[in-house]
Amino acid sequence: MSVRKREFDLYVEGRYRSCTTGLALSYSLGAESTVFLQQMVNGITIGSLYSLVALGLTMVYGIMRVLDIANAGAYTLGAYLGVLAYARTHSIIIALLAGAGGAAITGYLFQRAIYTPIKKMADPIVPLVASIGLFIVMEDLFRLIAGPYTITFPVHLPLNRLTLGPVVITGTQAVILLISAFLFLLLWILLNKTKIGLAWQATAQDTETAMAMGINTRSVVAFAFILGYIFAALAGILVAIHYNAVFPTMGDIPSYKMLAIVVLGGLGNPLGAVVASIVVGLAEAFVAGYIGSFLPTDAIAFLALIILLLVRPQGLLASGGEVR
Amino acid sequence: MDEKIKKWLLLVSLFTIALLMTACGSGSGNGQSSAAKTIKIGFFAPETGPEAADGTSAYNAAKLAVEQINAGGGINGAKLELVNYDDQLDTKQAVSIAQKLTTKDGVVAVVSGSYSGPTRAAAPIFQQAKMPMISAYAVHPAIPRTGDYIFQLGLSGIVEGAAAAEVAKNELHAKNVAILAIDNDFGHTLVQGFTQRAGQIGLKVQEPNWFHFGDTEFTPVLTKIKNSGADVLFMPAYAAEGSQIIRRIHDMGLKIQPLGTEGLDSTTQFLEVAGKDANGLVIVTDFNRDSKEQVVKDFIKAYKERYGHEPDMVAASTYDAFYVLAEAVRKSGTTPDKIREGIASIKDFQAVSKINGFDGIRQANKPVAVQQVKDGTFRYFGEITDPTIITPPVN
Repeated sequence: MSVRKREFDLYVEGRYRSCTTGLALSYSLGAESTVFLQQMVNGITIGSLYSLVALGLTMVYGIMRVLDIANAGAYTLGAYLGVLAYARTHSIIIALLAGAGGAAITGYLFQRAIYTPIKKMADPIVPLVASIGLFIVMEDLFRLIAGPYTITFPVHLPLNRLTLGPVVITGTQAVILLISAFLFLLLWILLNKTKIGLAWQATAQDTETAMAMGINTRSVVAFAFILGYIFAALAGILVAIHYNAVFPTMGDIPSYKMLAIVVLGGLGNPLGAVVASIVVGLAEAFVAGYIGSFLPTDAIAFLALIILLLVRPQGLLASGGEVR
Repeated sequence: MDEKIKKWLLLVSLFTIALLMTACGSGSGNGQSSAAKTIKIGFFAPETGPEAADGTSAYNAAKLAVEQINAGGGINGAKLELVNYDDQLDTKQAVSIAQKLTTKDGVVAVVSGSYSGPTRAAAPIFQQAKMPMISAYAVHPAIPRTGDYIFQLGLSGIVEGAAAAEVAKNELHAKNVAILAIDNDFGHTLVQGFTQRAGQIGLKVQEPNWFHFGDTEFTPVLTKIKNSGADVLFMPAYAAEGSQIIRRIHDMGLKIQPLGTEGLDSTTQFLEVAGKDANGLVIVTDFNRDSKEQVVKDFIKAYKERYGHEPDMVAASTYDAFYVLAEAVRKSGTTPDKIREGIASIKDFQAVSKINGFDGIRQANKPVAVQQVKDGTFRYFGEITDPTIITPPVN
């Protein structure tokens, strides 16, 4: 009798145990996968921001083989012009146009007055050094003109938090994702479905042959610079709104981090830059969320680059023609 | 074509030279002036570079203090003269500035308006030259331990961290504290002070999460914190990163009480960027804006009139450093040794903050101000005067 009771106790205990462990397991799995999905959203958003900045740099490289650090200056310039226009007009459209316009002029001038002449006469390293110099001059000018203090960019984004089951997408995240997707689509159509895009690709592949085929390569190069700088400026404005902050050194981190991303994506390859940006964004989100800060956040992009160069030296998106 | 290139290169290089000259111009003193009637005080702060805003605030406060002291007749008839340098938040720059100040500028004392890194790097040089230096707001405990000429006027990070733990436990009734801190001297010192005190008073604290200078994206780490069950977030951060943390906490709808430190004590750099998301935030700092003391009211008014924006903690502490120095000169004399003695013997000195005095290893003993953001401004929330908390450790 007592034995049977004992068996029963054990049985109940066992059932109870397995029941609770089962519950705990499913609960922890659920919470874990929610966090995973959430970090995924976080990472893709960060990556989208990076890709907007990286695209400008990669476009300029693709057409002219110049690693243009000053592109990060256009990013800051865009943000300053945008916030200035916004303060006057309270129109985000005018702010975007002002930033894009100022950056377009700057890009054109830099290309015409500095890069094209220097590139003709010198070693490829010279344009790189010149671009670093330009970036430093731009940054100091911003500080001298606008002052060292942070200027706020108080645009209230129209979206509230979206809750998709357990995953939360904040208003700013949604706006960043939407605008980036729109700009990628625009660029893709431009490069792949238009005559300008065709001329662009031809010039990027072989400038002399393109010229021989009657393509006005001078205009194509100028166009690439202008578009690259416009992208940088739009990214600058978007980032400034996202962080509600415009300050002279905001281009510092993009100036070197984008190099890693652009190389990771295959120099001059816009699609590669986008993919590399998302990879780096995801890596940063998962490292911050699961591992902690074992190394500076900005180092993750470079770590990804080193791993890629070891594992896949042909680049992230290697398909012959695209990666040069 | 070549001519055109040359013209452009010439233009660009001239432009660069012009910029460099404007950047360096502020660094040089006025050479030899009538030595009897002026007392030269060295000063350095990160006036350009990534923390140019804090450096500019500190420099502005330094200029204001010197002008006010001189307008009031100077010190025993002698005028103060500021010899200003920009360290660009670079330890190498700080070292060469310290060498210039100790060898060729003819200064008798120095105020560091810089962060812990540059201040620590410069301190041994001043010590070796037997030149008194007051660190206005750097928190690292190693700074005053450099030697008997080096004083720390700002709160020690250990004290400030301990005070934050006290606030978390007794004012915010924390059950479970998460930490998100900057991975440098500043963050580590504050976290050390916080966790030590938390251990003593039985406050549950999670493993710290670290971020890096210049980080902008905090959603991933906040997602982790959200799932940790914390009810208070202790966040030793500077204004740029801190404002983004606060904005993301709000965006993500996190139910957590943020508790910051002096790094967030800036209207222009923090409150304006964080906006209404900052409401409710509590910080521990040096600067009590609602103080009834006339000197505090006068300082805030004068700074605002002169520079067009609210002063921050960095400005208040730098301003105090000059007044402490002036008091030391007035009491003891104008040679570096006399000034050192004068600073060491200061007691119950009411500047913008109340300085009880310096301890045996030259750390200031002063109350910790606790402020809360209400309707977009820092307001009085409390003050910690308990000697067991505000007395900096001496070992």
